[in-house]
Amino acid sequence: MQRTTHFRTGAILFLLPALLLFTAFFLYPVGYVVVVSFMKWDGMSSPGFVGLRNYSALFHDEVFRISIRNNLIWACAEAMIQVPLAILVALLLARKPKGWKLLRTIYFFPHVISGIAITMLWGAIYNNERGLLNGFLRLIGLSEWEHNWLGGLGSAFPSVLVYGLLYIGYFMVIILADISSVSQSYYEAASIDGATRTQQDWHITLPLIRGTIATCVTLAMVNGLRQFEQVLLLTGGGPANNTSVLVLYLYKELQNFHYGTANALGTVLIVLGGLVILTVRKLFNAAKYDM
Amino acid sequence: MKINALLEKLLSWAILTLFLVYTLFPMLWLVMASLKTNVELLGDPFRFPAPPQFGNYVNAFKSAHLTLLFSNSVLISLSATALNALVTSMAAYVLSRYKFKFGPVIFSTLITGILVPVSALMVPYFTLIRTLGLYDTKLALILTYTAVSLPLSVFIIKGFMDSIPGELEEAALLDGCDFYQKFFRVIVPISRTGIVTAATFQFLSSWNEFLYAMLLTSSEQVRTLQMGIRYFASQFTTDFTSMFAAIVISIIPSVAMYSVFQNQIISGLTQGSVKG
Repeated sequence: MQRTTHFRTGAILFLLPALLLFTAFFLYPVGYVVVVSFMKWDGMSSPGFVGLRNYSALFHDEVFRISIRNNLIWACAEAMIQVPLAILVALLLARKPKGWKLLRTIYFFPHVISGIAITMLWGAIYNNERGLLNGFLRLIGLSEWEHNWLGGLGSAFPSVLVYGLLYIGYFMVIILADISSVSQSYYEAASIDGATRTQQDWHITLPLIRGTIATCVTLAMVNGLRQFEQVLLLTGGGPANNTSVLVLYLYKELQNFHYGTANALGTVLIVLGGLVILTVRKLFNAAKYDM
Repeated sequence: MKINALLEKLLSWAILTLFLVYTLFPMLWLVMASLKTNVELLGDPFRFPAPPQFGNYVNAFKSAHLTLLFSNSVLISLSATALNALVTSMAAYVLSRYKFKFGPVIFSTLITGILVPVSALMVPYFTLIRTLGLYDTKLALILTYTAVSLPLSVFIIKGFMDSIPGELEEAALLDGCDFYQKFFRVIVPISRTGIVTAATFQFLSSWNEFLYAMLLTSSEQVRTLQMGIRYFASQFTTDFTSMFAAIVISIIPSVAMYSVFQNQIISGLTQGSVKG
């Protein structure tokens, strides 16, 4: 009997720190964001309840509209460009060509390095005067294509968006792992029936890894909603707020002590994230898919 | 038929090589640029540096106080990793090995945290850290980083602990282990792989974190390396090559970590356990 109480004390002691941290950094903040989003508050004077006014102000706000548009484009681009490319490369590596393990390692590389380092590197690549991209265009005789990539109204957002989409290592590793867990007997049976490797991929592999693809699409879209560093460092949201995203806008509102709108933006982000998860789950209708 | 197969092979090699070049070339160029003079960099961006300017690295260390930034980052990341490993493996132990009424509810609540976009929680984190009187301290970042990856770590470590057979624990009980001895002497050593996997992810994400480092600190004494290279860029815009050197220095620990724990990282992702 004494033993059980001793174990109970131990269990409570062991759970307590995690629960405290979780409450302080997840439960309380999420509630706080939602509640304060209905208030007008500068962080110092006493907050006043304003109902939905923060939200209606946001929806009439040009920068908010651009930000949400950019985030949605980003989320869709990740889901429709990055994930399919990751699937393609995973299927190719699953055939175990020479050096596939090394390739897997290298493709993952950009996900180990900080977003700051990668972004600053790309800042140097896009740089107007001494950038690598313009230098390359000059080198191959296409100097009329030279461009102020991050300063041009039309090119700024695509430039900020596009380079990350081609870093496919993260999803590729997850998908590759799932492919290698598919039982070989399916493929043997299919080859006896005369199916080519490509046909096998299309009719056997892809349907069987649907759950993992759904996971990757969710992660990719949520990632598109969370973008921040790329924009902050490359353009700061400019030119003319054309590259703004929700997290950057939230950060700016916080710095201006507009805590009400900042939290309304936070709530929008949380809701969008939840919607993405529900939608993808519905679309893929995957029983195996557990998030 | 044969031509088709050959064509397919060529195409697949072309795709794989394209991604290889895309991934590697910018990084190699970065290292190369960090060894050039600023004049060389302006000239032909593709030429090899002749001779290599290791002085850029010295400059980077001097002008950006990299030693301070580096040690701040090491201290913050290692502390957050250690704290996170301890707190989460304790919680995972109880949730995995003890069946009690609220256990499943607590666990599923904890792991929904994986899906919460923590960048949406900037305002509460900011006010919380201020209220605790921790603004502009290393402890603010250590606590935040520990907490932010807590759900993911609990999830990974509990997964490993779940696969430990119950007999081992019964044997430990017969040998007279109490609750704490059982945890530290039996469970932790066996779950080492899981704990190391979670810790690797934790270290990398703390080392690379930027948003909260920017939001919760301001003075140079507590600045992290990621913040440092950003300031470096805005302060010394003419000295591009030293900036590149600073960036190279900032990625060395991540690359070293990845090289050592590569299999951990890949198998961690492989078990489908990384979903955040």
